[in-house]
Amino acid sequence: MSATRLYICCGSGGVGKTTTSAAFALQLAMSGQRVAVLTIDPARRLADSLAVGPLGNEPQSVPLERLNPAPGGQLDAMMLDMKATFDDVVRRFAPDAESRDRILQNRYYRFVSTRLAGSHEYMAMERIFALYESGQYDAVVLDTPPTRHALEFLKAPERMSNLMDEGVMHWLSLPRDSFGFRALERGSEAVVSVLKRLIGGETIEEIAEFFHVFQGMWSGFRERSGLVRALLRGPNTRFLLVTTPAPAARAEAQEFVQLLRRDGLPFGGFFVNRVLPAPTTNQALSAELLPDRPAAIPQADWAEICAGVRQATVNQARLAGSEAPALAELRREAGDAPLWTLPEQDTDVHSLDALAAVSALLAPAVAQLSRR
Amino acid sequence: MSLLDKRIVLVTGKGGVGKTTVTAALGVAAAAAGRRTLIAEIGGARRIHALFGAPESTYKIAPLTKNLSSLSITADEAIEDYVLQQIRVRALFQLVFRNRVMGPFIDAVPGLHDLVQLGKVFDLSRQTKRGSLEWDLLLIDAPATGHGLTMLASPLSMMELTGRGPFYENARLVHDVFMDPARTALALVSLPEEMPVNETLDLFARLGPYQRQVQLIALNELHPEPFGALDLWEQARDSFEASPAVAEALRLTDRAVARARRQRLARERLTGLGGAPLRELPFLFRRDLREADLLGLGRRLLGATT
Repeated sequence: MSATRLYICCGSGGVGKTTTSAAFALQLAMSGQRVAVLTIDPARRLADSLAVGPLGNEPQSVPLERLNPAPGGQLDAMMLDMKATFDDVVRRFAPDAESRDRILQNRYYRFVSTRLAGSHEYMAMERIFALYESGQYDAVVLDTPPTRHALEFLKAPERMSNLMDEGVMHWLSLPRDSFGFRALERGSEAVVSVLKRLIGGETIEEIAEFFHVFQGMWSGFRERSGLVRALLRGPNTRFLLVTTPAPAARAEAQEFVQLLRRDGLPFGGFFVNRVLPAPTTNQALSAELLPDRPAAIPQADWAEICAGVRQATVNQARLAGSEAPALAELRREAGDAPLWTLPEQDTDVHSLDALAAVSALLAPAVAQLSRR
Repeated sequence: MSLLDKRIVLVTGKGGVGKTTVTAALGVAAAAAGRRTLIAEIGGARRIHALFGAPESTYKIAPLTKNLSSLSITADEAIEDYVLQQIRVRALFQLVFRNRVMGPFIDAVPGLHDLVQLGKVFDLSRQTKRGSLEWDLLLIDAPATGHGLTMLASPLSMMELTGRGPFYENARLVHDVFMDPARTALALVSLPEEMPVNETLDLFARLGPYQRQVQLIALNELHPEPFGALDLWEQARDSFEASPAVAEALRLTDRAVARARRQRLARERLTGLGGAPLRELPFLFRRDLREADLLGLGRRLLGATT
């Protein structure tokens, strides 16, 4: 059995990342593979277009047999349920039932499991790893959480594992003396007293309790994040950047590629969404090609409509031209790596058929990425 | 009551809709109307200064143009700032915050990053100089929808988490200001396409108690319509002969008509949302907006008709 391939779609909010991830996953399935796509927070329309009910942590099979012709592969879709995933992790790594229940009931844990910075990303990795480990898929596609920057996704798990590592865990979870904390290192007491003054004694106690119980789960957690990190750097993983020809795209692409390189993460290429196709001419349509006015259309409207039709190519050329510098910059950033452009769609994706139409445009990308 | 009479305006919306442009445009228009205005970029974002050809923003307030300044707030600097205010002893701060476990710990307090940044804006809004308020108006270029909402709710989250104590009290002060429609307004930015409008409507629904604060809906990047009588297009189209040159023009007109219809629908769906005025901004072909462009956009946002 060949190993599962992992595609991680990054990108800032509003670039069409979720739709692109779904279309890419569908195209992988079209090519005969067994595919899972994990999305973070799809619009309802996307869940509709995958023709599945409300998405949750459990894989839902997308009814590919409805497509004509039906592809040979298989596509499962799921949406990240933060709380459920974190609860699973706690259940898996808790040394005993008592610790498990103490964590699950801790008030601070309930905040951590949904709101802690980086926990979304960490849990997405966790789900991906479980899918990878299951061996049930040829390919797993991850649509990363929306961030202002594509890069935040890459930094977040690091933040999370810093927290889970030594540091605060070790320190807050040590056996406590009658003052509540043990003076482990010089200054610890001062630290705690400042924290208590700033945040409030009870809250600090609750957080300490959480870490105290969590201590038992530590090694499991750490081992797991080590495996995830290795997987992300492995030969079967590709990071993809979904972007648009917007002015800010170049800086983001540049940073993205640099960060991947620095961290030894494999770069797969860029998807540039919503590219306006250039018309064959930038000249207005000759007035001689205009037909006579149909009797039903008032003269004033007809004149306006004719002017609109004549200018259509000129306007499109102007629009496409306004994107050209950004596209050229993106191509330069990509260097030798592939860059695939996707034309602007006239409508949002509403149905499985519409998603299939977008996904067909990704066939070259799937072919190229599968060849490696 | 105009947006300019608020103390704080928080600009949010889906990623990529033009929040930064809207914030800068409001800033320029407010400054031109004589308001001493400060733009705060959140989460270490640094994009505003470039629009004014100014040096890169930092945590230190720097002028952009007459009556308009900006700063870029990071959570780390805001935390340092806050803690120093509270303990007032730099040596103690050094001791605590140079402690190697502190960074991860700060990360571990949910919502703290967001709250301290709002707290910084709150402090700036109260800052006085020679006995009067230093800033008439603070504009926040807030993070995208989901995070923007979390940030707005962060004082409340902190109040829930702590229950009482000093942090609770400070969170409550911030909460009171950001909950008060007389002092704080929200501007929601959207694009005239189906998904961004869905998201704006969804955001509005999720705003719950903060809905009263929504006092501007900005619909950005509207393209000119190819012609007014969109309804007649299908009928008109049938009368054209299908030569290749005509076919391309017709196909592109189809696109332009479809876009104009989507724009009209978006306008219809957002009109009247929360009783806030809907202001429209044109799509601009140029990439490098100048101050004059921003002023034009800002005036439209404030209700000028041209």
